[in-house]
Amino acid sequence: MKALVRALPALLSQSLATMFQYRGEIILWAVWGVVYPAVSMAMWAVAVKGAPGGEQIGGYAPRDFAAYFWLTMVVGHVCTAWDVYELGWQIQTGRMSPRLLRPMLPVWQHVADNVAYKLVSLAVLVPIWLLIVVVSRPNFDTGLHELLLAIPAVTLAAIINFVWCYNLAMAAFWVTRMEAIGQAWFGAGLFFGGRLAPLSIMPEPLQTIASALPFKYVIWYPCELLMGRLSPRAMTGEMLNQVVWVVVGLVVFHVVWRAGVKRYSAVGA
Amino acid sequence: MGQIEVHDLCKTFKVAEREGGLGAAMRSLLFRKHRQVHAVDHISLDIKAGEVVGFLGPNGAGKTTTLKMLSGLLHPTAGEATVLGHVPWRRESAYLRRISMVMGQRSQLNWDLPAMDSFLVHLAVYNVEKAAGRAALDELVELLSIGGVLKKQVRTLSLGERMKCEICVSLLHSPSVLFLDEPTLGLDLTMQDRIRDFIREYNRHHGATIILTSHYMADVTALCKRIVVIDHGRILFDGPLADLSARLAPFKIISIDLQDDVDGYAFERMGEVVAHEGRKVTLRVGKEDAAAVTSRLLADLAVQDVTIQDPPIEDVIRQVFASGRGTHP
Amino acid sequence: MLRHLRLIWLFTRVSIQDTAAYRTDFFAHVLVTIFNGGAELVGLWTIFSNTRSLNGWNAFQMVALLGVFRTMNGIIGMVIAPNMRLIMDDIREGKLDFIILKPINAQFYASFRRVIVWRLADIALGLGLVAVACVKLSASLTADKLLMFLVMLSAGSVIIYSFWLVLATLAFWLTRVNNMEMVFWNVFEAGRYPVDIYRPTVRLGLTYVVPLAFITTFPAAALVGKAQASGVALAVLFAAAALAAGSSFWRYGLRHYSGASA
Repeated sequence: MKALVRALPALLSQSLATMFQYRGEIILWAVWGVVYPAVSMAMWAVAVKGAPGGEQIGGYAPRDFAAYFWLTMVVGHVCTAWDVYELGWQIQTGRMSPRLLRPMLPVWQHVADNVAYKLVSLAVLVPIWLLIVVVSRPNFDTGLHELLLAIPAVTLAAIINFVWCYNLAMAAFWVTRMEAIGQAWFGAGLFFGGRLAPLSIMPEPLQTIASALPFKYVIWYPCELLMGRLSPRAMTGEMLNQVVWVVVGLVVFHVVWRAGVKRYSAVGA
Repeated sequence: MGQIEVHDLCKTFKVAEREGGLGAAMRSLLFRKHRQVHAVDHISLDIKAGEVVGFLGPNGAGKTTTLKMLSGLLHPTAGEATVLGHVPWRRESAYLRRISMVMGQRSQLNWDLPAMDSFLVHLAVYNVEKAAGRAALDELVELLSIGGVLKKQVRTLSLGERMKCEICVSLLHSPSVLFLDEPTLGLDLTMQDRIRDFIREYNRHHGATIILTSHYMADVTALCKRIVVIDHGRILFDGPLADLSARLAPFKIISIDLQDDVDGYAFERMGEVVAHEGRKVTLRVGKEDAAAVTSRLLADLAVQDVTIQDPPIEDVIRQVFASGRGTHP
Repeated sequence: MLRHLRLIWLFTRVSIQDTAAYRTDFFAHVLVTIFNGGAELVGLWTIFSNTRSLNGWNAFQMVALLGVFRTMNGIIGMVIAPNMRLIMDDIREGKLDFIILKPINAQFYASFRRVIVWRLADIALGLGLVAVACVKLSASLTADKLLMFLVMLSAGSVIIYSFWLVLATLAFWLTRVNNMEMVFWNVFEAGRYPVDIYRPTVRLGLTYVVPLAFITTFPAAALVGKAQASGVALAVLFAAAALAAGSSFWRYGLRHYSGASA
């Protein structure tokens, strides 16, 4: 534990340096997270006009949609994780081997990369975010209470997404089609996380499925919290659910990681 | 009349120049300094059908640039060339169908597919008639003994196997002129030998003209009767391999066998001592001093045997390139 | 011409053999495609359970648009993108030499030498969606609309091919163009909705800079009767101009590469 505390800052600064090397690519990756929310924002603003009354859908007027999707953009970035591809690739190309020889779990390296990427890309994203606020004039109704609660909520959301993405990535120890798995994961996240639409306006059956999956605690819950639309009970209740997803995720990680490394060393990549 | 005729061929590249450091980097955004590099500088050649010619020279001498102009990949800055009666850089189909190029460090096979698939595509692209294509394929597979690897994904082949497949694919349309750019690069010695044997055989059977560049002296000495030494874009020597040393070496090698042990004789005053073991001494002396040194040695010492030779080709080449660097701008 | 068609068929056949060797891959991809199709429908379900129309497009008109979007996604992913990616790689690694030395048109060879066969699943899904939309809209579907649709689809394919050819040709001068592919797919997502839902500036960009309107919105609009014959004629003209511009840029790139234009 002590060694880890010493190692993490070193890992992080190394990751930061690496990310600076790839700043060109990082700009492109970061923009990826902007297009989808922006498209959804534009689409719902138009959809409102075709709804009964033409004023709002499920309590969202165009400027509420603007606020919601702007938040999914920001929260989506803070919670992003791509290890389904990265870790899968490292496992399958044998690049995992040198990392396994270090006296530290490789996951810490990935955590450092994750944090470093998010920090470096802020330089590009913050101006874009501000520009979108100016253009789309979102309607926020956020109190101080919600703002404070959002800090643990977003942190937990980032942990949930990273841990579960990582858990899924470990499938690469057994199967080879990680690209397909990654696509399914990100595709499901779009719907059940609430990136296509706030969950409350989705068809009932989809909402039911969404509550059984982790995605809604990554995007929808922090965003709705910041929109100031949740009752005090829902605020704390959903955060407890977040904690459950984190705990279960960590347990799964420990079990699967051990089995995976055993398998990796048996197959000999 | 030659099959390949080249007159005063030149290729000049414009290279951006930049000093190190952030300040220089910023400046170069606005004012970029350029430098002219004369990669090929007035080269003339005349090669007959069926010849095997070796281009020798250090990295960046202009060998590959010349080869690329002759194959039609590069447009020259000045000068003329005809190959098989065509101007190469017009890249007419009729011309391209009759030549081929192998680049040792680049693959033209599709790495995801078995080599056989690449062969079939090649035959179709070159519009080779079915029976002729089949015959060429069978012959090459036999000669290169690659029958066992045709169905394997190219990615999984060893470097040697892959190189054989590269050579096979480039010969499927029976080209009259073959450009080989470093065909044995990175291969182990046995495989280098095999490839050389194959190229020699192929030239003998099909009479194809072959131009080859290589780092490996052995490639050139084993295959080429004619050598073209290129450095700094110019031809330093063009002629039979045997004449190379005599023409280019500025020195001779004098070896003497002494009758008795000699101590204290200052051989180093005569020339550079290459070896001195017991009664055998080998000296390197300037060409014009060779006669004087020899008679001096014979006068001073009891000599059993003396030989005067041209130095080995490798040494000559190395020497030429080492000294050539300073003499050209 | 016939010879070129034969070559395309040969390239395809070789690619099919290649794909057949990786059966699990193939099925995994088909599964992903089915998943994607389901996801598209879920999206539409969500939207149209809340609204009657998206800027004048009703649910089944949107199904037609999504079908076109999927089809184009398939066409680009099957032929255009993989070949253009190969061109960029070849330029970077100096392997373009081999293509230039082939005794056939370099642009043709470079554009069709690889086919990603499993992307046919995307095209099948897309056309399936179009067919469903056609059945549901059959009351208003006429032969001339269908014809206009096919012309628009072809024009769109030519336009997007030319667009990619320009991107790939940029690799002669720029070293990191393969990142552009990522940007393209990213922006391509915006094509799943009609371009007229976006702000005027964005719409202009999606029509003339990244020509998404031509490849998704316009063909679908033709099918559902939202297009004029004059619009179709304009699209064909635009396609011809784009192809001519793309090809001459490619030739200019080749001349630059061989040092003829420098």
